[in-house]
Amino acid sequence: MSQLEALVASHLSDRRRSLLSWGLPLGLMSAFIVAIYPSIESALTKAVQGYPTGLKEAFDVGQLENVEQYLQAEMLSLIVPLALGYLAVRAIASGLAGAAESGRLDVLLSAPLARWRLVAAGFVASAIELAAVLLLTAVLTLLGSAVADAGLSAGHAAAGFAEVWPLALLFAGFGVVACGFTLRTTIVTGAGAGVLVVMYVIDLIGKLDPSVSGIRYISVFKYYGNAIEDGINWLAFAGITAAAIVLVVVGAWLFERRDIDA
Amino acid sequence: MAVIETDALTKRYGSARGIDCISFEVEPGEVFGFLGSNGAGKTTTIRTLLDLLHPTSGSARLFGLDSHRDSVAIRARLGNLPGDFGYGKETTGRQALALLARLRGVDGLGRAEELAARFHADLDRPLGQLSRGNRQKVGLIQATFHRPELLILDEPTGGLDPLMQEEFLALVGAERDRGCAVFFSSHELDEVERVCDRVAIIREGRLVAVERISDLLGKARRKVSVQLADPPALRALSTVAGVSGLELSGDRASFGFAGDIDPLVAALAGHHLLDLEVSRPTLEEVFLTYYQGDGPATADGGGG
Repeated sequence: MSQLEALVASHLSDRRRSLLSWGLPLGLMSAFIVAIYPSIESALTKAVQGYPTGLKEAFDVGQLENVEQYLQAEMLSLIVPLALGYLAVRAIASGLAGAAESGRLDVLLSAPLARWRLVAAGFVASAIELAAVLLLTAVLTLLGSAVADAGLSAGHAAAGFAEVWPLALLFAGFGVVACGFTLRTTIVTGAGAGVLVVMYVIDLIGKLDPSVSGIRYISVFKYYGNAIEDGINWLAFAGITAAAIVLVVVGAWLFERRDIDA
Repeated sequence: MAVIETDALTKRYGSARGIDCISFEVEPGEVFGFLGSNGAGKTTTIRTLLDLLHPTSGSARLFGLDSHRDSVAIRARLGNLPGDFGYGKETTGRQALALLARLRGVDGLGRAEELAARFHADLDRPLGQLSRGNRQKVGLIQATFHRPELLILDEPTGGLDPLMQEEFLALVGAERDRGCAVFFSSHELDEVERVCDRVAIIREGRLVAVERISDLLGKARRKVSVQLADPPALRALSTVAGVSGLELSGDRASFGFAGDIDPLVAALAGHHLLDLEVSRPTLEEVFLTYYQGDGPATADGGGG
């Protein structure tokens, strides 16, 4: 087993509980959303027709004519991306800054281990953790649909949840960069979560006010589409993933040059 | 070739002092004690050797390799026990050792198990549930299980009970016997005196002494107490070279003495001597002398 594999396995073992603590509540909530859809479908359609256009565009609720659109509006446009983005930052903060605070980094870096491997392992483990949480969420959602006969398409649901993965990875990348500047868990988490919220708000403002729509280009949410209906935009998927990797490379470079504070 | 060689190694934290122009050498198979009060710079020196901190100026070479550029190759050959061994509250010692073995390319935990038995270390409980002393045992095992050529130990016996401290000293002796150099910071001066060949004393970030323990103690002022049948003759002792702090009380004189003892013996030879006590200071007393400002200002560095 290579050093990278050993570190990734160790990270995943340490964070095994997050699969249940994040995937279970998100999955159950999502399952509930799709399960109640058949019973509220007609009332919902009428209600949405009365919503202001700007509001519908801002929260991707232009139409709620099928369960995929409802799942997009209720979960995939806001809750899941924000939750997974935050989880990604937490995973990195815990794996690097938390390890520095606990003294674990001192022990690991007494072994013949290059710092960049430590960073890479943290990022790869986060990517796997995020994929596992999304998979559990998607599976529970489909179970909810099957139980309530909501008719959710497995392929569409998979695309919708898969699209969240690169978005969340990008915030893992921001977390790595933050670790290049500080190894305080609270600061890394706060900085990463701050970027997440600011990007979301910028995108929202850009959607609500067409005169400032240009600011959306600096937010990753501009490139986060509606894969559950339109399918995955592979260019955006690859672009966001590449941006995340660039952030990790920058973060690893900074991490290589910084002192590991006691 | 020296196992550790530092040359004017300096680390500053902004304008704050860390360590300043630290120069010393540690030879293969040597047990080298590194003494200093809290905040003197011991841990900063160790973290700089390990490349956890990057020096502001100066350099450190371990096994002839640059401590920063060749850090990975260096760490393959050393074992390190941080001051307060921490790893993760929920991880067991066995899990931590298994990962470190994989990172070091060591097959199995055979020697780690032997050491665990020797130190009565519990490898199966989460580290967060262990006392500091029991965590420190796991730390000692992870530092030594791969048979390193250099052991760097920062306050290694903190929290160990006296029996385990003895086991630890025996382990240090065994490591030295197989050729391993040991660089070892400690507050336990009696154990340093027992196991170390040489010591360095660091004060406010600067080395103030690098000496063999026997030389350090030999050069230090001895305490002398003399009782003569002819008390007025005691006053003449103040003129003997090396005598300082002469105190007279009846027929007894007490004073400090440094240097060649022959002139003192000659001065006493013509008198009726009732009692004579000469005591060497402990390492602790010598250490305190350096910290009270009586010792030399700085060491000239160098190994030897």
